[in-house]
Amino acid sequence: MGTLDKATPLAAIVGAGRTKFGELWYTSPEKLLWEAGIQCIESVDHGLGRRDIQACYFGSFLYQVTNKLGLIPGYMSRELGIDVPISMTEAACASGSSALYDAVLGIRSGKYDIVLVGGFEKMTDRYDKIVDDLMFAADPHEFDAGFTFSGLYATMMVRYMHEYGQNDERCRDALAMISCKNHHHAMNNEYAQYRREFSVEDVNRSTLVADPIRLLHCSPISDGAAALVLTTPEKAKKFTDTPIYIIGSEQATADVSLFTRDSLTSIKATRLATSKAFSETGLGIMDIPLAEVHDCFTIEEALFLEDSGFYGKGEGWKGVYSSYESFKGSKHIPYASGHNELIVNAGGGLKADGHPVGATGIRQLFECFKQLRGDAGKNQVSVDGPLNMALCHNIGGTGGIATVHILERNLK
Amino acid sequence: MSEPIARRNILVDYRINTTRCELCGKTYFPPKSFCDREGRASKMSQVDYFYKKGSFFSGAAINRSTNKFSHLDSYISAVITFDEASFMVPGRITDYVPPSEKLDVSEFIGKSVIPRFRKTYADGSDGMVYYSSLNFSFEDDYYPYQEYREVKPSEKGDKPGIVGYGVYIPKFRIKNEPESQGVKERALPFADEDTTTFAVEAGKRALLHSGINSRYVKKCFTGSESAPYAVKPMMATVSQALELGEEYDGGYFSGGIDSQFACKAATDLFVDAAALVSYPVFDGEYVMVIGADNSQAAPGDALDYTVGAGGAAYLFGKRDVIATLDCYVPYTSDTPDFYRRQGEKYPKHGGRFTGEPAYFKHVVTAMKAALEKTKLTPKDIQYVVNHSPNARFPYEAAMNVGFSKEQINPSLVVAKIGNLYSGSSPTGLASVLDIAEPGDKILMTSYGSGAGSESYLFTVTDKILEKRTRSIPVKQQVDNPHRQYVSYATYRKWKEMN
Repeated sequence: MGTLDKATPLAAIVGAGRTKFGELWYTSPEKLLWEAGIQCIESVDHGLGRRDIQACYFGSFLYQVTNKLGLIPGYMSRELGIDVPISMTEAACASGSSALYDAVLGIRSGKYDIVLVGGFEKMTDRYDKIVDDLMFAADPHEFDAGFTFSGLYATMMVRYMHEYGQNDERCRDALAMISCKNHHHAMNNEYAQYRREFSVEDVNRSTLVADPIRLLHCSPISDGAAALVLTTPEKAKKFTDTPIYIIGSEQATADVSLFTRDSLTSIKATRLATSKAFSETGLGIMDIPLAEVHDCFTIEEALFLEDSGFYGKGEGWKGVYSSYESFKGSKHIPYASGHNELIVNAGGGLKADGHPVGATGIRQLFECFKQLRGDAGKNQVSVDGPLNMALCHNIGGTGGIATVHILERNLK
Repeated sequence: MSEPIARRNILVDYRINTTRCELCGKTYFPPKSFCDREGRASKMSQVDYFYKKGSFFSGAAINRSTNKFSHLDSYISAVITFDEASFMVPGRITDYVPPSEKLDVSEFIGKSVIPRFRKTYADGSDGMVYYSSLNFSFEDDYYPYQEYREVKPSEKGDKPGIVGYGVYIPKFRIKNEPESQGVKERALPFADEDTTTFAVEAGKRALLHSGINSRYVKKCFTGSESAPYAVKPMMATVSQALELGEEYDGGYFSGGIDSQFACKAATDLFVDAAALVSYPVFDGEYVMVIGADNSQAAPGDALDYTVGAGGAAYLFGKRDVIATLDCYVPYTSDTPDFYRRQGEKYPKHGGRFTGEPAYFKHVVTAMKAALEKTKLTPKDIQYVVNHSPNARFPYEAAMNVGFSKEQINPSLVVAKIGNLYSGSSPTGLASVLDIAEPGDKILMTSYGSGAGSESYLFTVTDKILEKRTRSIPVKQQVDNPHRQYVSYATYRKWKEMN
């Protein structure tokens, strides 16, 4: 646990917007980003105009393939009616959070005071080929070995269950419970792609996609966009009385390929980015009550719980199992470790909210922004004491990149 | 995939090429030009894992594949470790169809696996076909592991002949019920096999059997009537995969061609191979001749109940010869008994016409001429091998010339694997070499529609005994308890993927 006195605000979020996630066949990627961006600008409490934006940082993974688009800066200049510097970041599923990481650097450099950050993806326009396309985020040798993304994560899941589950059926159930919990969390999320409860049995009986991964272990194919307005910590109160400060912003990379890694049961980039963010803020995972975690497949959420230190190595599934089994309430299901509780994926995570790849990393911040401000409506989490901090964890591919952001409402 | 990407992949994937740091021993796949640990001090050398075995580290049964692999239905993709986990590669498990009922992939963890040269996929019917050795079969399954050991050749060469051979018969079979012309069951390609992969497998086994260094193989002939490409040599793929000839800048100082003469596309080149190694200008030690086919037949045609799949490879040279080539009698006439026009998928044939004026006339004429030329009688010969379109023709031809069933029967593997077309008589010859004793004489007669035949007389030497420990006998493959039967529908589906 950290000392809570080192954190320095790096930037402040003063507005956030997003589209609904799902099969949005009636709209195009640039219109999606425009919609999220405009909603975000409009959400700034004390007002902000498009022309106040000094630069934009956008992230997306597959737009060139799914929609035969290039030069997104030019598209967005036209759509938003602004002519400021716009950069595009591609980092697979971490495209959005990587754009955010760059945006924070832009603010910290002193070059910009107000920037728009956005992530988007339009996957369903190429529904019949998207499974192949997603493999751009893997080594071509993995593609040529017949892998799919679910297959790569299933390979991690097999190894995890082999090394730590040791034929215990509860391990398999725990990995199903992550899905059940996230679907439960999405029930009151008006933007979520799937607002439907599933039982552990439903998950364990769903279609085998890449044995042992079943359909209900997987995040869906989604369209969507999300956006944030960032400003300097000093100017934040000019735009809203309740800015949310980014106090930690870190990124780490590791091998793109699963087969060149030291371990298949831990994500090195997550470990590095998380520990750097904790070191930057003087915090520890036990100081965090709310986290948005990259649950593209449920095994990944379990790995995060261990890689972040919330549970010990190989103990994640046990923590998930006992937390889920012992939960008696009706709203958000926290993970418990000793006296600490951590609510993960309050809006349903990638699993139920949806996973428009490039949008996810920004959507996570949107969720935390709303929760920390107490603006999440029916989906507002309740914790012991004021909700003051949250962490967002976003990874690309099978862990070739990880980005971690730590947010705080009231600075110490 | 573009052609340049394909070429780059070939250099890495055909033999599982890695680089290893000579300072710290760390191995890199895909190959890297420097070691992460040693940095600028790195000294990297190339190491390939073509002949090694690995073990299953983890994997998943892919039920919803990428479009590129949809033709395989369900399969297992895996991470494979080599050298006790010093490095890993991704790979697909081949020769294996996951059961439709519940599967526990973790049960495969730690199992030994063998790299197999297989098709990854093709870009449609008019695009390129991609191959790789990053496909693995379980060691305790059909395909046995063989360690490659180079054996120093004898100092002196003598009369040219066979110095090694290898036969590859795929794992999957279909039963003929009832049997068709003596053919009871037949081999067929797995969904990722084709004639090129058969040729590489057979060639690999010939190298293992002979123990020679592949750099001294200066020519390779690949005979087939089911080559995956109309234009692009199988031979080049075989050469690259087996490293035939001296390496230079990613290529090899070896030559060769694909040949076509229906079922005798390979065998007629045996004499050319033996001649070349005796020809000073050739300046090479060995010539490889491979006959392989995914034998084609139109669905429901009479041939659809006799065709098999597989191939055999022979190495010819002058040192450590296991069987000398003593006589060659070819016989040719323009007889239209069986043919396939360019662009057509299946061959046509003249039904009963293929027997009497075609097969029997050519085979018997060559056999009799060979006996006359060598001044031998059937009693002087221990084994007779005839091209085997079915089990009846080769037997009747042998009887017609005066041989006994004991002399022909050991070569009649057609009854259990079907007609291997270009691989037929070479596989029959191999099944006899598997059991022959020094001094035995073998009369092999091949036949190719269109039409021609040639008879060869071989005399077995005592070298055959010491090399026998390195062979995988035809009978062992024919009767392998791990062979797996499939339905007619699966047989047709996999056969069509060639």
